[in-house]
Amino acid sequence: MNAESKKITRFTLLQRIEHWLLFLSFTTLAVTGLSQKYALSGISDAIIGFLGGIENVRAIHHFAAIIFMLEAVYHLVVIGYKLLVLRLRASLLPGSEDVIDGIQSLLYNLGVRKELPRMDRFNFAEKLEYWAMIWGLVMMSLTGFMLWNPIATTHFLPGEFIPAAKSAHGNEAVLAVLAILVWHFYNVHLRHWNWSMFTGKLTRKEMEEEHPLELEAIESGASAVRPAPRVQSRRLAVYAPVALLASAGLIFGIYKFTSFENTAIKTIPPAITGVAVYVKQTPSPIPTQPPAPTTAPLRTLAPGATAGLLTWDTGIGQVFADNCKTCHGNAGGLNLGSYANAMQGGADGPVIIAGDPAISLLIQKMSGSHPRTLSPAALAQVEAWIKAGAPEK
Amino acid sequence: MKRRIVRARVSLLVLVLAALVVLGVALIGGPPQRGLAGSAPAPQPQKPDNSACLACHSKPGQSYQLPSGEVLSISVDPAVYDKSSHANVACQVCHTNIAGFPHPLNAAQDTRAYTFQYKDTCKQCHNDQFKQLSDSVHTQLLNGGNRNAPVCSDCHNPHSQPTIQTDANGNPASVEHAAIAKICSHCHNDIYNQYVNSVHGSGIAENKNPDVPACTDCHGVHIIQGPDSPGFRINSPTQVCGKCHTNPQIMDKYGISTQVLNTYVADFHGTTVTLFEKTDPQAATNKPVCYDCHGVHNIARVDDPTQGIALKQNMLKACQRCHPDATTNFPDAWLSHYIPSPQKYPVVYIVNLFYSILIPTVIGGMVIYVGSDIYRRNFLDRRLRKGKKQDEPEKPPVDPEAKG
Repeated sequence: MNAESKKITRFTLLQRIEHWLLFLSFTTLAVTGLSQKYALSGISDAIIGFLGGIENVRAIHHFAAIIFMLEAVYHLVVIGYKLLVLRLRASLLPGSEDVIDGIQSLLYNLGVRKELPRMDRFNFAEKLEYWAMIWGLVMMSLTGFMLWNPIATTHFLPGEFIPAAKSAHGNEAVLAVLAILVWHFYNVHLRHWNWSMFTGKLTRKEMEEEHPLELEAIESGASAVRPAPRVQSRRLAVYAPVALLASAGLIFGIYKFTSFENTAIKTIPPAITGVAVYVKQTPSPIPTQPPAPTTAPLRTLAPGATAGLLTWDTGIGQVFADNCKTCHGNAGGLNLGSYANAMQGGADGPVIIAGDPAISLLIQKMSGSHPRTLSPAALAQVEAWIKAGAPEK
Repeated sequence: MKRRIVRARVSLLVLVLAALVVLGVALIGGPPQRGLAGSAPAPQPQKPDNSACLACHSKPGQSYQLPSGEVLSISVDPAVYDKSSHANVACQVCHTNIAGFPHPLNAAQDTRAYTFQYKDTCKQCHNDQFKQLSDSVHTQLLNGGNRNAPVCSDCHNPHSQPTIQTDANGNPASVEHAAIAKICSHCHNDIYNQYVNSVHGSGIAENKNPDVPACTDCHGVHIIQGPDSPGFRINSPTQVCGKCHTNPQIMDKYGISTQVLNTYVADFHGTTVTLFEKTDPQAATNKPVCYDCHGVHNIARVDDPTQGIALKQNMLKACQRCHPDATTNFPDAWLSHYIPSPQKYPVVYIVNLFYSILIPTVIGGMVIYVGSDIYRRNFLDRRLRKGKKQDEPEKPPVDPEAKG
């Protein structure tokens, strides 16, 4: 193996798992979040439809947020361990050298400088991304809490902070996604494909180009220095309980974050004024009749009705009455109000071809684009009914 | 000359024969002339001879007692009938079950049953309206056994209903428009009393203002959907309230913003409702629509001291109907249809402004750096390599143009 292609470890397996967790939760948050921010665009329509409606999208967004925050707690514990127990150098801490590195790199790119600045384990581009991530985490958690718990928030902040939080949450998301697309994608995927988050390794050549100072430290053995085992275990004895308590506190905080309040009622709001609908005028121009017992009780599908085959009279007619009749009643082109009319079809001819659901226009419409579609269970019933010859009784 | 006479005689014969056939058909006694078959009303050219019926029924105060004990008025005022839209319709067109004298015994047990005998008769001429009615919540109630649910004649008295006057656009003229709620009040009187005192209804009651909605403008005319159905609820912002409140021709007269629907849709509640409207127009959602906050039939001006939701204490009550724990700060979480500005909701305005600067700055900076890197790797490095190949290793790698 020549010296240039020699592999040098950059990320451990646990670090790579962290990155994958972050990748999955961030992507999920971005997709479900931006489709809410731009809810009326065509792409959002497709995403929301694919995920099964806006309520599902919100539930998935909340779930991904919890994963994201738990990952942040884990990250904090690991950072604490590395800095306080192993006493490693805080290699991601930004400093004035990063500003200089950034300017010098830009000048090198423009051809003003001949040499790239020599950078350490994390160069200015990586530090920028890391701290942008931390800034985003803090902003998104704070504003996310306010949006998740608006009533609690307005106990101590003016109400106006809720829409402000919504604006910040959405704008911050746009900033984060654009930064990932421009900065992260370019630097680790387009510039050259960086394998270190997959394999954990970089080649010596890549290290020489991007992290020459770290390479020096690795090759001189300086970066492998660990505290004596006795010292390390003494520190750990202090750190472990503190970290345990802190992370338990943070996880409890996340639990409260997600369950702090019941923001709204779950039912349809009551009518704003409890006014009776039917109140005849007195003296009445129309004689009043007490409501007579219903002569034709509305049929409803029995809970387990999917099992047996239905006929028009025993349920299929009711499926259409419940789902279609508002438009496809007597006034529509296609009338699904009665068996004879349904079989006759509409302006485009018959919609039910007895025995063959696949060529029945009704099934095609229901499987494609129609303003309203049947539930999968109801659709299956109708298909089975057509397949059985669309019997009336 | 002779041929011409023959031809004239043949024509005369054909004419006489045709007249005889027509007369014969009439004498054999086809069904009573309906004349208005189909959906297009085609009034008879001249008034029918209703004299046989009116000989008795034009006397005022005549009545018929039904087995239930109810008394049915059987008088028709010819003066009123002649002014009605049905003046050219013979009695028997509708009263098909009454022929000859004495009349056959009527099976109706009460007045309502008597009305129902004629509930399908209107479709002979008014088929479109009849079909629409048959899909309505009123007919659903009727079919479910509610005998109070209206049929055609409950809203349109067939003996007195004049032809409805329309304006240039085919909409009911303002005098007709103003009378609509009175009809509905026959059965929905409590709602009517709320409505006539509301910001909408008072306009109609006081000066027949055609800009404010009558019942039918929101609920539809014959195809009236149940207003407690999920579909009505979800579609109401765009298809009921939004119809007028986004129309500057109406709203500008009263100084009302036409941004009310946009701003609602931009908010959490409105976004959700709009999404449901798009994906499943019959879905049940508890996210508020216009009338959950503004009121339904009792809708008031937003600055009304007791009800107006521009007043925070009234808005809070509206919020608390769905958010029972809401406190005094909470109503400001809703931007009250305003677009944030330095005067209205400045915190939101500042946040928007901050990000409108921050995002282009950060992303722009990144793009500049990435652009420089692409330039270095794809153009400058290549040129430098090329220069080296041409054995000019001492040439400075800086291209003066590249500095710009």
